[in-house]
Amino acid sequence: MSSFSRVGLVARREYLFNLRRRSFLFAVFGVPLFTFAMWFIIFAVMEDSENDLGKVEKVGVADASGLLDGQIVPLDAPVQFEFYADATHAQQALDDAAIGAYISLPAQYLRSGQVEIYSYGTVPAALEDAVRQLLLANLSQFAPLDMPFDRIQNPVVMSIYVNDTGRTLTEANIPALFFLPMIFALLFMMSSGVTSGFLMSGIVEEKTNRIIEVLVTSVSPLQLLTGKIIGLGLLGLTQLLIWGAAGMVLITVGQAVPFLNGIEFPLTLMLVFGVYFILSYFLLSTLMAGIGAISGSEQESRQYSTIISLLFIIPFFFIPNFIAEPNGTTAVVLTMIPFTAPMSILFRIGFGVVPPVQMVASLLLLFLTTFGVALASARVFKWAVLHYGRRPTLWQVFGVLRASRTAEGGEARL
Amino acid sequence: MPESVIQVERVFRNYGSFRAVDGVSFEVHRGEVFAMLGPNGSGKTTTMRMILDLLKPDSGTIAVFGGPLVDAARDRIGYLPEERGLYRNVQVIEMMIYLGTLKGLSRRDAQQRSQRLLERLEMGDQSKKKISELSKGMQQKIQFAVTVLHDPDLIIVDEPFSGLDPVNSLVLKDLLTEFKSRGGTIVMSTHQMTQVEEMADRLFMIHRGQQKLYGTVDAIRKQYAQHAIIVEGRGDWAALPGVVSVETRENGRSSAVLHLAEGVSSDSVLAAITSSGSIHIERFELAVPDLNDIFIRVVEENRL
Repeated sequence: MSSFSRVGLVARREYLFNLRRRSFLFAVFGVPLFTFAMWFIIFAVMEDSENDLGKVEKVGVADASGLLDGQIVPLDAPVQFEFYADATHAQQALDDAAIGAYISLPAQYLRSGQVEIYSYGTVPAALEDAVRQLLLANLSQFAPLDMPFDRIQNPVVMSIYVNDTGRTLTEANIPALFFLPMIFALLFMMSSGVTSGFLMSGIVEEKTNRIIEVLVTSVSPLQLLTGKIIGLGLLGLTQLLIWGAAGMVLITVGQAVPFLNGIEFPLTLMLVFGVYFILSYFLLSTLMAGIGAISGSEQESRQYSTIISLLFIIPFFFIPNFIAEPNGTTAVVLTMIPFTAPMSILFRIGFGVVPPVQMVASLLLLFLTTFGVALASARVFKWAVLHYGRRPTLWQVFGVLRASRTAEGGEARL
Repeated sequence: MPESVIQVERVFRNYGSFRAVDGVSFEVHRGEVFAMLGPNGSGKTTTMRMILDLLKPDSGTIAVFGGPLVDAARDRIGYLPEERGLYRNVQVIEMMIYLGTLKGLSRRDAQQRSQRLLERLEMGDQSKKKISELSKGMQQKIQFAVTVLHDPDLIIVDEPFSGLDPVNSLVLKDLLTEFKSRGGTIVMSTHQMTQVEEMADRLFMIHRGQQKLYGTVDAIRKQYAQHAIIVEGRGDWAALPGVVSVETRENGRSSAVLHLAEGVSSDSVLAAITSSGSIHIERFELAVPDLNDIFIRVVEENRL
């Protein structure tokens, strides 16, 4: 039997066995249900807040397009509009806190539909509605005959400037901006976390119940490790496919939900996600395999794996930095560190444009690290699988990594 | 010249500064039961692992089926490790099929053989049960079944009888005998000397990594035979010609060990007994020690 088919046998077994595990079924079907539930709650909260203008009572208007010269304000407008000669005056009023926010219509508004809202702090959805009403009321009265048909269909293409962060949000990309990278990052963490957790606990189980000794007389430790990683990687992909299908359903259903209307799956994001997912899954799982091989119990290995998982989610703590400066130093550094690269790249793609050089460099570093970790883990794995009962010291593990022959144990065949 | 299945030559193996195996050499012949003896921690398991290529020797050579252990040769070996282990939350038959296919069997073949073996072990109705639901003895039998599932030419069994009750020990012994009668070679490590005496053709004893005994069971027992005779009966044993001293044993029977003078044969003592008329003899045998005694003696001699 070829070594390829031995690897295949191990992969098949790992895939089928773990596919039927209760914890896997829960992860696959429970997580989408949980996500739907969360979304539902978020919608409910958002519906509430949309009708709430918060602290904004007066809104400044600086119009360079001439549309609002008549200063027509709908009678039922929920806020009071103050008209200013230009944006500088409006900004002054905003700084003096005379108004809570102001809108600026550029000279070419009728062509572009571009409307800018400036505020300190968040802009409630109800304010956007109020602005829309104001513009529609004026458009219906003063629209020139040559106004692009576009404007009637879509009078407002909103840009929101939140002065605190200097960040611009436009209506069209809000869902893609925040939610897609977040969702992908979460999916990645859950999927690779579940499968590499299975990998580690499988190794620890085989080690503690000693069946590993029978296994390695049939397959080499490297074949065993490879088979496990492939089998569980396929399991992770299965999980993602099921989640992807659930996502499609959600989006189809979501056409009815205004909030989800804008969600698309940009091809680049999917591609980057795919490449980074595979590479970082290998990185995570080879690391977990190495840890599983040297730890004495499932409990112990879980402690180590928690630390490793934390490394991967570090970028979550820097989300404000990614939003403020998608190409700033923090973001770039986190993109280059192999452990934080997958999350970072997803955030950066969402919030800005990543220079190709950086992406290539980050992929290269991730690839090299994965390769190095895989080799090191394989070496530790083949050495440690037959050392049970006592946990190897850190020194011994370094010894194994430094040389193929060690004082303490001898390597099994690769 | 018997065909050798395993050849171990001047093999050394250290763990750090501890020398686990110290230059041992032996051969295992095709179709024999070869016993590996030695106290706990003497180097037996390390030697077995080196034969199986799970560990590399520091120096020396090991040939299995005439060469290094390649994958094809690996499939001809079955291994029952000392520390038993099976997947716990898996059906018996499913696990057997998996381990069988890893040894090169097709799934179908592995399934049929597993079912046959389970029936042979009177466990045919347990195939769908999870391993964790089986008793320890049953798990032991399953483990042995896995070892011979792929019909290997050589099995290496480390303490096959440990943890088995007398009934199951007998079942296992029958299976081993059957395996041998089909031409299989067995390398067996055990602490149960009676099993060695009953089953083994040749033995190898290792102590503190060093080879202490090696040869056929009979030859080794004779090598350790005292110049003495064990007798049971009535009469004045000390009066017999050639008897230097008499050691009586208080074990409920009237047996005695007669130590003989140099140059005196057991035959001449027997002749003297039969011709004496005053001695009633019920038992007469050479004082050949059992393997248990030899084992203890070897260990005692090397205590320092």
